Amino acid sequence: MNKATEVQKLKADESTAMRATGFNQSGEARELAVPDYINIVGVRKVYNPGPAEVEAVSSVSLRITSGDFVSIIGPSGCGKSSLLMMVAGLENPTEGTITISGRPVLKPSDKTGVMFQDSTLLPWKTALENVLFPIVIQRRMSALFNERAIQLLNAVGLGKFIDTRPAELSGGMKQRVAICRALIQDPSLLLMDEPFSALDAISRDDLGELLLNLWQKTHKTALFVTHSIREAVFLSDRVIVMAPRPSRIIADVKIPFGRPRNTAVQETAEYAKLCANLRAQIGSQHA
Amino acid sequence: MPEASLSAPASRPRTCSKISAVLLPLLSALVWILAWQFAVWWFSISPVLAPAPSQVISILFSAEIHNLASHGLYTGLEATAGFILALVLGLGLALTISRYGWLRDMIYPYLIGFQVVPKLALAPLFVLWFGIGLTSRVAFASFICFFPIVIAGIAGLCSISPSIIQMCRSVGASEAQILYQVRLPSAIRYIFAGMKIAATMSIIGVVIAEFISADKGLGYLILFASSNANTPIVVTSIVLLCVIGLLLYGSVAIAEKRFLARYAG
Repeated sequence: MNKATEVQKLKADESTAMRATGFNQSGEARELAVPDYINIVGVRKVYNPGPAEVEAVSSVSLRITSGDFVSIIGPSGCGKSSLLMMVAGLENPTEGTITISGRPVLKPSDKTGVMFQDSTLLPWKTALENVLFPIVIQRRMSALFNERAIQLLNAVGLGKFIDTRPAELSGGMKQRVAICRALIQDPSLLLMDEPFSALDAISRDDLGELLLNLWQKTHKTALFVTHSIREAVFLSDRVIVMAPRPSRIIADVKIPFGRPRNTAVQETAEYAKLCANLRAQIGSQHA
Repeated sequence: MPEASLSAPASRPRTCSKISAVLLPLLSALVWILAWQFAVWWFSISPVLAPAPSQVISILFSAEIHNLASHGLYTGLEATAGFILALVLGLGLALTISRYGWLRDMIYPYLIGFQVVPKLALAPLFVLWFGIGLTSRVAFASFICFFPIVIAGIAGLCSISPSIIQMCRSVGASEAQILYQVRLPSAIRYIFAGMKIAATMSIIGVVIAEFISADKGLGYLILFASSNANTPIVVTSIVLLCVIGLLLYGSVAIAEKRFLARYAG
């Protein structure tokens, strides 16, 4: 089999998998966009309250429309990861409230899929078992989920590595497994905490593109924390810029590129201008 | 077939090194034993001071071996029982402590502090507490083995990266699920390291306990034989203790290999 047909086959597999997994709801999801799907109101987060307290997030208010891909960028220590962890229900705000679909976030929900900086795969489980881990934990295992996990792995190009353990997978492949695990329950919200930051530049670009393609087919709401301005602009509908000390939002930039989008966007002058503009905004905080 | 013939030249040096990895240590042992044998003969050393290897070997193949083996079996069973008891109690405590942070804060410093106590010095107390029977010897052996298992267990259960714990919580895992399905499997390597130390220590524990009070076992035999100046029996008993130690350690190592194949990734 030559390379071209192989790629074609992979693409075909991908679209079948998408259909079969009920990921093909693009149209309606956009029309039914809820303007304050995520509503973050006056959130402050302090670690170690007391004399040695660390203020991770000072005062952040933010509304996110359902179906949007929103990136949060900013230098280290600006509180972007803490904010994401609070939206995930893994941390509770010290002050303020976070609601998703009007319901306050108090603990992790199965409507939310989370990806972390490292793949957080369990080394003794195969790729498939890792993808199914949330289902096993929730004691909801069924043949249907097994099928779905295999389709997801196929969709990210890991069809041949279903029974492989993480030690034998590259960094990029591990994050692909982690994407599948985050999607196994078909969450309506996908939270990602610098998921590509530990990868080399090439895998990073590949995964960015893969994520974009997956997301464009599903139109879940996505909140993506990153250090990379280029990545944020490429993937997002909206980029939030945060600054440290005190940790707050300093800019909220709409990205005008339409959907579906592809890597060609990165060649345009507008893309370069947007990146430069964002860089300047972040840079001004460092003076 | 062609593949096999292709790989043959590459595998030759490897087989060579494999053979030498077994042969060379055996060779050095042989040299050592022969040197010992020669020294005993050359300096005409009394068997009471140091019996020749040939004497030990002749005891191993004489009718005496039945008596020695029954003592050895007794010591081996005591050591194994002590080890298993320590494993159950040690893992139980490690799991309980890792489950509750406050319990860990309460107990862990003392577990570490207990390392300072010369535990062998407590052997006579065990005879006071548990009597002169088998119970006191098994209890003492498990007391000696308990600490390496608990400490390795706790270290292992806490070894997992915080981000994996976060991932587990994000998919709704309970603390108990995290403990048994994630932290325990990732502690396997640590637990077996502790078990390997414990396996050898349990034999030390039993022998010490047998020194103090016993009417059976290799520790008893060593004490009895040395008071009769029967050094060849003493040395043969020590050889048998080594064999028991190897068996116990070997079983742990085999179990470790199986568990690691399943849980090391």
